Amino acid sequence: MRKILKVAQREYIETVKTKTFLLSVFLTPLLVGIMLLFVGRFDGGVGGPQPPRTITVLDLSEQVAEPLTAVAAEYNASRPDRQIRFDVLEPPENPDVRIEDLKQQVRRGEIDALVVIDHDVLDDGDGARYYSFARTVADLEMYEKVYRLINEAVVTRRFEAQGVSPEIVSRLQRSIPVEQIDLSSKVEAQRDMPVMILVPFIFVFLMFTGVFGVGQGMLTSVIEEKSSRVMELLLSAVTPFQLMSGKILGLVGAGMTLMAIWGAGAYLVGAAMVVSDVVSAAMMLYFLVYFVLGFLVVSSLMAAVGAACNTLKEAQGLMAPLTVGLVVPMAAWFYIAQHPNGTFAIALSFIPPITPMVMVIRLAADPELAAGQIAATIGLLVVSVPAVMWASAKIFRTGILMYGKPASIRELARWIRYR
Amino acid sequence: MISCILARLRELRTGGASGKVVGAMDAIVIDNVQKRFGTVEAVRGLSARVPAGSIYGFLGPNGAGKTTTIRMIMNIISPDEGQIEILGRSSLLRRGNRIGYMPEERGLYRKMKVRSMLAYIGAIKGMTGREARAATDRWLGEIGLSAWAGRKVEDLSRGMQQKVQFAATVINDPDVLILDEPFSGLDPVNLDHVKGIMLRLHQSGKTIIFSTHMMEHAERLCDQILLIHRGEKLIDGPTQEVRASHQTDAVSLELESDDRFVDALPMVAEVIRNGRRMDVLLRDGSDSQELLAALVGRVRVRAFEQKIPSLHEIFVHMVGGADA
Repeated sequence: MRKILKVAQREYIETVKTKTFLLSVFLTPLLVGIMLLFVGRFDGGVGGPQPPRTITVLDLSEQVAEPLTAVAAEYNASRPDRQIRFDVLEPPENPDVRIEDLKQQVRRGEIDALVVIDHDVLDDGDGARYYSFARTVADLEMYEKVYRLINEAVVTRRFEAQGVSPEIVSRLQRSIPVEQIDLSSKVEAQRDMPVMILVPFIFVFLMFTGVFGVGQGMLTSVIEEKSSRVMELLLSAVTPFQLMSGKILGLVGAGMTLMAIWGAGAYLVGAAMVVSDVVSAAMMLYFLVYFVLGFLVVSSLMAAVGAACNTLKEAQGLMAPLTVGLVVPMAAWFYIAQHPNGTFAIALSFIPPITPMVMVIRLAADPELAAGQIAATIGLLVVSVPAVMWASAKIFRTGILMYGKPASIRELARWIRYR
Repeated sequence: MISCILARLRELRTGGASGKVVGAMDAIVIDNVQKRFGTVEAVRGLSARVPAGSIYGFLGPNGAGKTTTIRMIMNIISPDEGQIEILGRSSLLRRGNRIGYMPEERGLYRKMKVRSMLAYIGAIKGMTGREARAATDRWLGEIGLSAWAGRKVEDLSRGMQQKVQFAATVINDPDVLILDEPFSGLDPVNLDHVKGIMLRLHQSGKTIIFSTHMMEHAERLCDQILLIHRGEKLIDGPTQEVRASHQTDAVSLELESDDRFVDALPMVAEVIRNGRRMDVLLRDGSDSQELLAALVGRVRVRAFEQKIPSLHEIFVHMVGGADA
């Protein structure tokens, strides 16, 4: 045990000292912060000011152009960085020819877009057409705005036709503010962001980053020991199992240090934003258990992968199935968070390497999650950690002194069966 | 024979002095060991005993099975058949810290500082932190690298790294040293340095086993040797006995003036000239003293010695020219 601890100590110190570790301590939260900020500000627009757009309008009804200019002016007043101008043309004698000619101009990029409003647009049946030649994402977005503005203009005209003043309409349609107050916060406060839905994301993101960091650390470390040929010297002092366990312990320690730093940072930020009650102490304890067990499973697997390969490049192929597996909960976090007790979420909870990630999302999304499932998944992990470590140790023992071509999955299975 | 007795005396002496080797005449016993890698038989039916306190050479050309045997002794790979006993136990597990092993595949953590690297190896070999640091400083002085203690391993030259590797092997003062090709990659100055340390450790009672394909090293250093070829033992035993047992009826001569008459002497079977030197092979039943008598009086004899074959010659002789 003392030897395992010595190996763990070195692994921990050498990992924590690396630039990668120091960078991830600061960079990842920065990234998360920027993302959250972005989500907070996201209002359906593609960020940043855009040059004014001119949209050519051919109003065959000769009814809509006027209110359209009015609503556009209103819109432009509220969005000075994204101006839309409507260039209303005189109705032509031969509309079809004129339209074809204008479409050509759109294709050539001489005009940004063309809107043709049908003759009987105020009555049922007729509508309008929007011609554009999309060059950027912003072009696609433009349709949504034009759609809204034209409809507004048409509706205004219809009210006018019925003798109802648009001012009265807008006054009657005025919506009232509904203040959102979340009682899970210390102080009853209005929230701009849906914090509840972000909590599972933050935790699974932390876990995903942590798991990959720890896994990558293990891979790099084993491969370095192989390629620098230090392995045999180590094996003269410790058994392969001691070496592997020590490395796992050291790296899990490094991973937990990272989590602790981030956790403390998040707590401080949370306290400042008065949202810290979102995660209870009991839940933090569960998270801790899942994090540790998750790190143990993944780092054991990576120790085996590293032992079977000579370079990081070779390892990529062998770890592909694992990587894909770990991306699933990350990709499906939103769905799992919305349906924490759905069949999909429950099924994923019982696939050991991803169990911790799925459970972290579910727990964060539904703190009242069935205790039986928490116990069952922790039980499953507690059983699978030694099983995975045992199998990995077998592969590790055989692989660490093998040089030459990387082993195939079939060969690894054979190594496990070795006496 | 004499060296054998000396070796035994030394065993008894060291056993009595340190109290560590008492009751174990053989540090390592290899019993009919086999190892196959796929279709290649790396080691075939190998048996040998390494007396405690001896300096023992595993000799043979590249690919003879030396490293495989050493790895089996170190329990890094296990034999397909046969037994290996080390310090009286079949398992190395409880003996690990009493064995110092320098693998053929040299390697250190490149990014670690030299002192931390050695202290770490000491620690995983069971030393306390304080012991490991003290031993590190002592050995860095011994190998002349004290000034490099704070530098990273990657800053060291290959020869220096090799010496650090040697220090890592002996850091915890093990009773048995197993060195796989300890001299490869060393320049003559460092080679003498390492040899000197090995001899000193030997004198202090350590058992030293090393492998080499350079037989002249073994001839000068070892009191016991094992000659392997293609996974099989050719011969083993005390170096002097092995050489004496292959002594041929040959004499190495150096004469003044004309020496052509030697070919015609009745007891001479063959003469091989080597510049001024000549190797004279005697007829069966003839005595070298007869040759000496025949020479004295006819010519001045500058040198006359009973020719004892070198290990290299014995090896070449035993495997035949083509295989050597």
